[in-house]
Amino acid sequence: MTCVYCATGPINNMFKMTLDQNKWSVRNQMNIISGLPPLSLLLLLSFFAGYHVEVVHAASPWVWDRVLKQDLVNDAMMMPTSLYIDGDKGLYYVVDSGRNRLLSFNRKGELLNIFNAGKALDIPFDMVKTDAKGVWIVEKGRNSLSYIDLKEKKVTPNSLTYNGKIIYPDRIEADAGILYVINKATGDIISYSEKLEARTRFSCSECAWGFVDFKIHDGKLWALDQAGQTIRCFNLDGKLIKTFELGKSVIFPVSLAIGPTGYMYVLDRQRRSVAAYDRSGVFKYRFLKKGITRGQLYYPTEIRFDPWGELCLVDEGNAKVEIFKR
Amino acid sequence: MRILLSAISTLLPLLFASIAPAAVDAASCFECHDKKLFKDTVTHQPVLESKCSFCHNPHVARYKGLLRDQESVLCYSCHDESRKQFSIGVVHDPVSKGQCSVCHTPHASSEKGLIPSDLAENCYACHTKLNKEYKVPHKPYADGKCSSCHTPHQADNLQLLSDKPDALCLSCHQDETILANGHKDYPVDLKGCLSCHNPHGSERKALMRDFLHQPYVEDCASCHQGEAKVGMATCLKCHEKTGKEMLSNHSHITIQDGNSCLNCHSPHAGNDKALLKNREKLVCYSCHGETLRRYKKTISKHPPVDKCSNCHAPHGSRNLSMLKSDGNAVCVQCHETQGNFTHPVGPDVLDKHTGQMLTCITCHNPMGTKFKYHMVQEGKRDLCVLCHRAY
Repeated sequence: MTCVYCATGPINNMFKMTLDQNKWSVRNQMNIISGLPPLSLLLLLSFFAGYHVEVVHAASPWVWDRVLKQDLVNDAMMMPTSLYIDGDKGLYYVVDSGRNRLLSFNRKGELLNIFNAGKALDIPFDMVKTDAKGVWIVEKGRNSLSYIDLKEKKVTPNSLTYNGKIIYPDRIEADAGILYVINKATGDIISYSEKLEARTRFSCSECAWGFVDFKIHDGKLWALDQAGQTIRCFNLDGKLIKTFELGKSVIFPVSLAIGPTGYMYVLDRQRRSVAAYDRSGVFKYRFLKKGITRGQLYYPTEIRFDPWGELCLVDEGNAKVEIFKR
Repeated sequence: MRILLSAISTLLPLLFASIAPAAVDAASCFECHDKKLFKDTVTHQPVLESKCSFCHNPHVARYKGLLRDQESVLCYSCHDESRKQFSIGVVHDPVSKGQCSVCHTPHASSEKGLIPSDLAENCYACHTKLNKEYKVPHKPYADGKCSSCHTPHQADNLQLLSDKPDALCLSCHQDETILANGHKDYPVDLKGCLSCHNPHGSERKALMRDFLHQPYVEDCASCHQGEAKVGMATCLKCHEKTGKEMLSNHSHITIQDGNSCLNCHSPHAGNDKALLKNREKLVCYSCHGETLRRYKKTISKHPPVDKCSNCHAPHGSRNLSMLKSDGNAVCVQCHETQGNFTHPVGPDVLDKHTGQMLTCITCHNPMGTKFKYHMVQEGKRDLCVLCHRAY
């Protein structure tokens, strides 16, 4: 069944279910419509327009809950690019790339600390923690995967290589002491030991622009192919298991997250929305829209689940992280 | 409700029936309009059948030429099979605007498809910059056969090329010996013909583009070491400044056989000093085609600029949207007086919602919106109350 009003694609099951639940007498309406000429039909369809939009938004179970932000004059967050969550400590870390610093927040969204490593950071972009002693930071300005020893307050830049070639670190994840890094120059994902010895490469020869984001979930690596608009699922040994086609439900996907139930969420930067897919990769619904106010997106960069099942969206345009819960 | 709907369903067809084309004897038309001018080798079917009133209203009309409806509506009323096809991929501007008569003569022509006899002249009427005289012209270009390489309505390829560029070149240039002799020291498989050759013409032999990369002129070995691909690091050895620009949170370091530079630049020859692979806008659109489509569709937008790089930093930037600088400085480059006017903007004025510096692009989106002056919201009230709630 395709939406006749906006022709955006198949109307999902939830839409049909919502129609039934609301006891909207679709059959009766269609009986009336079938007796009318085409122009009258168009007039009638205009009544459905508002109803349709409302239903699509209603299909999303996500509601805005809180925000992580710092908005003081001369000290406001500027172009945050990523979020790391320390589940054990219950802390959110936001990478503030515009002001070369990290900001930590508690679970309520209260700002706890601002850390700039003695002004040593040069365009931080993403971060992970592999132990309690320090953090790994992708520094774009140095083209480095730097390690910050928190106790010693020492930043150690590291230039990464793969097969003898310099790589350009972009997104980074960690799992069981292994670091996974996107090489922006090739779109591959490469895993490294903590001693930064290259281990496994996750690549896609058909992906014209390579991978732009990935997450590790349930012992698998899920990578987002921006140009081909697919999600590729790999074993951690680099073997491709499955490919999910996103089709025309996204325009410019920039980030993905895998929910606790296995649903896949794709952040679309140009549409300023999040598209949700079930475990089989079937598009289910889309939520959020462009704007600067609560629950709206301007230039979103990353989507990520926190350990408590909440959906976090980093928006560099609006300079904040918004957290949604079901 | 049912009574109302029944009334609408009855009255609407009657209303529209009253403005349906009325049959008019074409002989009356030709009493004034010279009939000879409406006949040629190929004559449009309605003209052949003397059905002038199919397209024209003899008395009064809203549209120029006493047309009964918009040009595209009239054309597609018969040529409906083309409508869907003409909306796919890269669409020629007049087609997307429904301006069929820019290329087709509606009554009669000496050429098939009701196109003008001198097709190239017709193309140059819009593509004025392409009409050049080259010392070494490409034969199809010299012969005015634009359609040898380009399709007129839509294509899957940029510049309405009828096939991938290399495939198009090799469809004629098949002699492997000539190709091999002409590229003796070419270290990798022959591809990317247009990165060195200008398909229309050149001042140099073999249609080589006008500006040559210095290492290409002097010594291939300054970049190439054996058959290994030349990586980005090789380029950045000389272009250090560019390398620094690329180390930003937004950069154009992107996949291209390990050398991002080759996404946009030709390593050997180009039409300008930057050795871009094509005109700048087309280079950008080769990846950002969706941006172009959205720009074209929006109602209110910044007038077209000649280069994307007027506002955007092509290598890397620390600003949103890879702007060259913040959302004020970029605009003030041209809109000089707008930097010091009514509404406060700048580092000391923060957007209440985001904590970000208020700039021109807080309220305007140059790439287009549905609101006047490409404002992000309706400008009389909605935009203002986003911040000034008390008003």
